[in-house]
Amino acid sequence: MHETGIALEILRVSQETVARQGGGRLVRVKVAVGELSAVEPELLGYAWEAATAGTSAQGAALEVAFCPATERCPSCGPVPRPPGVWVPSCPSCGLPLQVEGGMELDLLQVEFEPDGGGRDHDS
Amino acid sequence: MTTTADVRTQVLEANRRAAEALRQRFAREGTLALNLISSPGAGKTTLLEATLAALAPRFKVGVLVGDVATERDAERIRRLGLPAYQILTGGACHLDARQVEGALAQAGFGALDLLFIENVGNLICPTNYDLGEDFKVVLLSLTEGDDKPSKYPAIFARAQVALLTKMDLAPVVEFDLEGVERQIRTLNPRGEIFRLSARSGEGMEAWCRRLERQLAAKRG
Repeated sequence: MHETGIALEILRVSQETVARQGGGRLVRVKVAVGELSAVEPELLGYAWEAATAGTSAQGAALEVAFCPATERCPSCGPVPRPPGVWVPSCPSCGLPLQVEGGMELDLLQVEFEPDGGGRDHDS
Repeated sequence: MTTTADVRTQVLEANRRAAEALRQRFAREGTLALNLISSPGAGKTTLLEATLAALAPRFKVGVLVGDVATERDAERIRRLGLPAYQILTGGACHLDARQVEGALAQAGFGALDLLFIENVGNLICPTNYDLGEDFKVVLLSLTEGDDKPSKYPAIFARAQVALLTKMDLAPVVEFDLEGVERQIRTLNPRGEIFRLSARSGEGMEAWCRRLERQLAAKRG
């Protein structure tokens, strides 16, 4: 259960971003989580609630953009796959498939209410 | 009224920075650093004992071992007369680059040829944490079952080297070696796979030579 540590890092980096922009209250954070990131989005959501509880970010939403890995045939190109299933070989030509992408664990966007409720930090 | 800021940074940016500092240090000191990852009991420490027995006479080696509790693994290495430092994670399921930094300062190994970092026994949590290593090594023992690469794809997709360990048990366990190697190649087309047994010695020479080759290449 390393999602707790990851949620705390998301909170820390988000708060730093808000502070750099003049400070404020975190409203929403958007992260990209790849299928091969070894992070479970649902558990990350629970960990986020725990990490933000009692902080100024309590109640802030965590939005997870899930990024599936893709499989590609070296000869025929991308091959569709059902979620969570690894297709071993190309349905058309039988060549072994290769997995690509799905490694993301990135902070994409931070939404916050600037201190004082002003519109000074729109840049 | 809210403000939206685009960030686009790694979530584990602080760990990445610490790992980068370690990587520069290893480059400066000409150290080949490996991050060993597996489930508990796959044979990381036994592999290390056999690897060190082969390489320690010719190279300056050091070992960092991560465990939730006990000094057992570090003691096993020290019994060979080699320097080992135990990182006690106190419940944490993986090592972090900052822990490695701290442990190296405590351990006082000096400049090494080879640094082995034995991660906490876990196929999931260590996946995302760069420790400044040259490459990750994932171990899968034959007793764990031949469906594990597909079940734990993240680590098999990232580890440059996969070791199929406890090959001496092949006659008594039903384990589809070719099938497992296909799963690993799908997840990691550029990865390397070695079959070995620390107990019988099978495959150990190829593995040790692989390390020597990369160390020589790193030192130009």
